[in-house]
Amino acid sequence: MALEFEARDFHPRGMQIRDLHVIYQTNQGEIPAVNGVSMAIAPGKITGIIGESGSGKSTLAMALMNAVPKPGRIVKGSVVVDGAGDMLTIDKKIRQKVRGRDIGFVFQASQNSLNPLIRVGKQVLDLGRSHNIKDLRALLRRAKELLERMGMDAERILLSYQHELSGGMRQRVGIMLALVLEAQVVILDEPTTALDMISQASVLEIVRQIHQERHLTTILISHDMGVVADLADNVVVMYGGELAEAGSTEEILAHPLHPYTQGLIRAIPRISGPLDQAIALSGSPPDVAALKVPGCLFASRCPKRLPKCENSRPIYEAIGSDRYVACFRGTEHD
Amino acid sequence: MSVAESTPVSSKIPHVPKNRATFLHTAWRVIAKKPGRMVGLVIILFFTLMAIAGPYLYPRNLPINPNAIYAPISWKYPLGTDFEGTSNLALIVTGARYVLFAAFMAALFTVVIGTVLGLVSGYYVGWSDSVIMRITDFILTIPGFPLLVVLSTVWNFGQPVAMGFVLGITGWGGLARAVRSQTLSLRERGFIEAARTLGLSPFHILFKEILPNIASYIAMNLLLAITGSIYAEVGLFFLGVVPFQANNWGVMLNLAVFSAGAMSSVQALPYLLSPLIALLVLTLGVVLFLDAVDELFNPRLKEA
Amino acid sequence: MQILIRLGKRILAGIVMVLVVATFTFFLVRLMPGNPVAAKYNDLILHGMTPVQAMDQVRVMYGFIPHQPLWQQYLLYINQILHFNLGRSISYDGVPVLHIILAAAPWTIILVLTGLIASFVVGILAGVIAAIKRSSVTGSALSLSGSILHGIPQFVMGLFLAYVFTTLWVILPFGAPYNASLTPGFNWPFLSSLARHAILPVATYALSSYGGWMLTMKSSVITVLGDDFILASEVRGLKTWTQVKYIAHNAILPLFTVLALSIGFMFGGSLFIEDIFDYPGLGNLLLHAISSRDYPLMSGAFLLITVAVIISNIFADFLYSVVDPRIRR
Repeated sequence: MALEFEARDFHPRGMQIRDLHVIYQTNQGEIPAVNGVSMAIAPGKITGIIGESGSGKSTLAMALMNAVPKPGRIVKGSVVVDGAGDMLTIDKKIRQKVRGRDIGFVFQASQNSLNPLIRVGKQVLDLGRSHNIKDLRALLRRAKELLERMGMDAERILLSYQHELSGGMRQRVGIMLALVLEAQVVILDEPTTALDMISQASVLEIVRQIHQERHLTTILISHDMGVVADLADNVVVMYGGELAEAGSTEEILAHPLHPYTQGLIRAIPRISGPLDQAIALSGSPPDVAALKVPGCLFASRCPKRLPKCENSRPIYEAIGSDRYVACFRGTEHD
Repeated sequence: MSVAESTPVSSKIPHVPKNRATFLHTAWRVIAKKPGRMVGLVIILFFTLMAIAGPYLYPRNLPINPNAIYAPISWKYPLGTDFEGTSNLALIVTGARYVLFAAFMAALFTVVIGTVLGLVSGYYVGWSDSVIMRITDFILTIPGFPLLVVLSTVWNFGQPVAMGFVLGITGWGGLARAVRSQTLSLRERGFIEAARTLGLSPFHILFKEILPNIASYIAMNLLLAITGSIYAEVGLFFLGVVPFQANNWGVMLNLAVFSAGAMSSVQALPYLLSPLIALLVLTLGVVLFLDAVDELFNPRLKEA
Repeated sequence: MQILIRLGKRILAGIVMVLVVATFTFFLVRLMPGNPVAAKYNDLILHGMTPVQAMDQVRVMYGFIPHQPLWQQYLLYINQILHFNLGRSISYDGVPVLHIILAAAPWTIILVLTGLIASFVVGILAGVIAAIKRSSVTGSALSLSGSILHGIPQFVMGLFLAYVFTTLWVILPFGAPYNASLTPGFNWPFLSSLARHAILPVATYALSSYGGWMLTMKSSVITVLGDDFILASEVRGLKTWTQVKYIAHNAILPLFTVLALSIGFMFGGSLFIEDIFDYPGLGNLLLHAISSRDYPLMSGAFLLITVAVIISNIFADFLYSVVDPRIRR
């Protein structure tokens, strides 16, 4: 019965990521998509990971599940989930259990994350059977609860095929599938990108509520500083496959140290203020060739560039409790 | 423009060739990249040459030799001889013209009809689309080879053009449908919408904007249609439903199997194998060359 | 309900198509050099029949009367076809064409259906393996086997197999559907002879269609493997078996339509095989009709071959709307 779920501990679980390297094998050589990322995901908190497209944040998300699609490959590092072990080295069978059961994942392309030939309800059952859930009725009941929580006609959704649902509905079904097995860690990869503004707001609100109710550990990946600032407790900024800055949301918003973070914050449009106050970041993210330069990856776009930025890469280091930055100017002022 | 071309990434993407010289240059580079493609090209050129020059190399009526019926392979008869003592090599060489010319005509008819109807049908959505697609469905439904066999009772297949015409007219259905679906998806793209907004003529849009984008598909189909047509025409002659009027590999096959008893007598075997090997080598050449065509016209492959 | 409307439309379109093909065969025979209908009529008169007898005879054979206006002949012909009357054969001494066709059809059906199923099953499995292991030696070898077999024309394959197994290495019989000295019936010697004689024709069909199935399935699986929901099912921790089921289910869908279509094309798809192995099916019947100028039989055989395709077309369309929920609405 429901015991199956209640028996599990509800202490929030954290994650420790150490020196993670992911490369993409292409004709032009190996591209480092995630290059030496280390961070601790605080249990019970919402951690926002922010970066432009191509910054490696989605690859990072897949690497946390040890599911980087080809031609990507994890070459080094560890992803330790509290109570489960290192995702990169644990046995395949256990890893299959951890995926979905301990860590829920909501896709960037949740639009297409459902099997188009099977009704949603059947896919919930397939998920349950794969994780050896005995009481499938209870599972369906919880799926319905979640769907209703998200303001949907649960009965109808479970009997629907993917093509019968709108983008927002599919995204919410994706969230339901990530949560229906009572996962305690939830990774959301750009959960609102494909949605219109209204669905976006309601999906984010649902994420916030469920996070609080269930004492989840949530990782929210987005390119939108506004979304992250609104929801996250902690913020991690990624640039060119490396970490640029991390800290609590208040700290980051109030005292951004990295010029890139400062640019991102300036780029948030404010509904109340005049639109031209939002300043778009100039330049484009580094390409394959630029990733191999010895200097700081951001140097070419940086308004506060120093001569040494061209030649050596600043180290990502702690400059306070839970406060990290990779910038030669990071420790100078502010 | 010059800035973009100097970056390492974009220099790897050859632009759509503007003039013939650069196109031939690119084509040569693509072909020379893999030895298999070179072999394919050589085989195709070899057979083309055979088709053009073949009939001039031998007298109009090939010499027969009653003393060398089913002669084994020798210097004089590199592929042996047939039931009259005629050199099999001579038969193959003189027969190549009909086979290749008919196949080329067939492929041309297939591609022209299929492409034009597909483009028009996909671009002008509406009644013309429904009419064309009805006809296409019909063509696709009629079993092609039995139709050819039946048509052989009224149609004179003696001329390669006539053979090519019938093969083309019965074989364009699949291409038309594929071109239509590609046109449908292309017409929703930005650059086509832009061209329409600019008031460019439909003719220009269809043949200057859309056609180059499906060129690779069409080029592949041209080659595939050639091999398909070769099989079909040789098959028709092999079945013996078409009156024998010219030297043809299919005629050789038919006579070898059903008259000469090549299946059971070893001495007639070269007579059977000669056309079979010619057929297979030519197909091999086309298949090997197809790879180069794919890369040459397919922009997605070039980026990789 | 919508399925039924769709089905109804397709059936209507199919009937129109049958009529068009019947019109084609009608005019084909009339366009024939020397107009065989009039020739037969004159021939019968010469053999001492009265014009009325001769006209009756010709009407029975071809389904129309030589001296009527064209439109009346046409209507008569179509009317007879709608009553499943395909006329009488000339070369088989006036036996109804339908009877001859129905006697020949089972040979073709058994031959092609066996080959079709074998090549489909093997091709699908090989295609899945070739797609999943596409960067390994196994994968490349399978792909190569598909490309080569796909490239060899059916008659070349038939001749090759016949030569290897009946001349070079005599382990199988050549020609004829069974040993003529045996009495046909449900007895062991006859059935085993039947099976032994069928091995090469079936193998020819299977080998030359295997490549197509394998290559299509391979590309279909590769397409599905790139779909987001496959990655999603991996990350949701679905069992490997469930994932494979998802992949196979989605990848095989487009092939079902092709399979249904192939079943229709099978009636006309074994001309070469029946010719080479002297198998008394529809293909041989068509060839026999043409070589003996038996036009009613030719028209009838061609009509049946086409009708089979039209029916399987409708069936394929219906099947697709049943197996793919996206089409259902």
